[in-house]
Amino acid sequence: MALLIESEPPERPYWLLALALISAAFVWLAIADGRYGLIFQTLAEGLWTTVYVAVIAYALAASLGLLLALASRARNVWLSQAARFYIEVVRGLPALVILLYVTFVGAPAAVNLYQWALEGWIAQDWLPDVQLRDVSNTTRGIVALALAYSAFLAEVFRAGLQSVQREQIEAAQALGLSRWLTFRLVVWPQAVRRVLPVLGNDFIAMVKDSSLVSVLGVNDITQLGKLYASSSFLTVETYNVVAVLYLMLTVTLSLLLRRLERHLRRRGGV
Amino acid sequence: MNRRLVLTAVTLASLHFAISHAADPALPDLKGRSIVAVTENAYLPLNFKDPKTGASVGWEYDVFNEIAKRLNAKVDWKLTSWDTMIEAVRKGQFDVGMDGITIKDDRKKQVDFSDAYMVSEQFMMVRGNEKRFTDAKSFKGNAKLLVGAQSGTTNFYTAVYEVLDGNEKNPRIKLYDTFGLSMQALKAGDVDTVLSDGVSAQGYVKAFPGVYKVVGQPMGREEFGFIFKPGSDLVKPVNAALKQLKADGTLKKFDQKWFVDYKLNQ
Repeated sequence: MALLIESEPPERPYWLLALALISAAFVWLAIADGRYGLIFQTLAEGLWTTVYVAVIAYALAASLGLLLALASRARNVWLSQAARFYIEVVRGLPALVILLYVTFVGAPAAVNLYQWALEGWIAQDWLPDVQLRDVSNTTRGIVALALAYSAFLAEVFRAGLQSVQREQIEAAQALGLSRWLTFRLVVWPQAVRRVLPVLGNDFIAMVKDSSLVSVLGVNDITQLGKLYASSSFLTVETYNVVAVLYLMLTVTLSLLLRRLERHLRRRGGV
Repeated sequence: MNRRLVLTAVTLASLHFAISHAADPALPDLKGRSIVAVTENAYLPLNFKDPKTGASVGWEYDVFNEIAKRLNAKVDWKLTSWDTMIEAVRKGQFDVGMDGITIKDDRKKQVDFSDAYMVSEQFMMVRGNEKRFTDAKSFKGNAKLLVGAQSGTTNFYTAVYEVLDGNEKNPRIKLYDTFGLSMQALKAGDVDTVLSDGVSAQGYVKAFPGVYKVVGQPMGREEFGFIFKPGSDLVKPVNAALKQLKADGTLKKFDQKWFVDYKLNQ
């Protein structure tokens, strides 16, 4: 898939300049208007939770997505169809619905299964006795986001794997590489490089969708915003701060992603 | 909430129905003006969608319609979510908002409130088989027990200040986005109690006998008021009409209709 590298017009990131000016205006506002400073301080405590939820959920989603992509291309028809079934169903459900299923159906079922299957070991004190409330809502939120995104990432990985020409795989095997080595040395590095931009975009989407865990009372940026707005009635002011905090995260990520893409382009291979 | 059967002044009320399109002489005349009122349809039985008919009904609808009629005004009903209601009223998108909104001093800085039209109290809802505690005190004493609440609402503040130790960040409080979710968490065993106003508490116990029950004493006395844009010229007339509705037994009549006679989930 050799792309013609056209000479691109020089970047003019005016949008970034505009954003910087708006941010500066916001900082000035925060200093001038005491309320903003207070809201900002209160909500910034949720930054770490938002990042933590997004990163863990994304790591899980990517691992599961890769396995699903490989499974959906497997020769075994049971395996490939099961993977397709999962991808189609999960991709077709709103993340919020998945979140409620995981919280009120999945988690109780998992805890009951654990207690039933490992009853003997728990009785011997070899394993901890886990109650439903030991599975925190943060954990449930992370699992739900991971499941929801795994279906999307599976499709991304599948496209990446399919983009590697058959000839290369045949050549690798002709050189005597095992299937595993062919995957690790030939297919995987090319596939991942091609889909990196998409993976990056999906990570930014995950940061935003992590706000769904606020429904379960997890103290991320959105939840702290909801709490603040509902007690102070300062709705617009609060959501202004919520927006700024998310933009701080997402624009930073977006800039990092552009650098990464440029770096990869210079190294060629896309 | 008045649970006694009250023989209300129905005859008096029906007189008001007879006099149509004329403001009560004792009240300001708004001369047929249209009032844009907003609620959420998510607070049984104050405002909700009747499952049988799909119509928007409830105590607040009836009371505010009656207020408008006596002031010679028309009501144009709108719906919005709780999250956006305050801001929309504050900005003047709607003239009046109602959703069982508690009158609070810090909220008075953002919107104008009418006089109180209802007093609400909170009850402790527990699972039907709960034996570990019987009231707020024994609940507080056992550090293992958790309470589910709705962010920023009365049941949250009551849980913090009247059940627990006044620390809003107490880890024994598990927050959920809606009342329904916290009740689901109670049922599932994620939390051990959820505070609810008497109305919803009764509704849940009636609808799911054996699953839920109510324990302890009522707490968290609160007053509900209508909200208006700051400086609204509607506050005075609405308060005047409200006073009349309290005096002539009309409010009691609607209490009876919605809190006693109306059957939930049927």
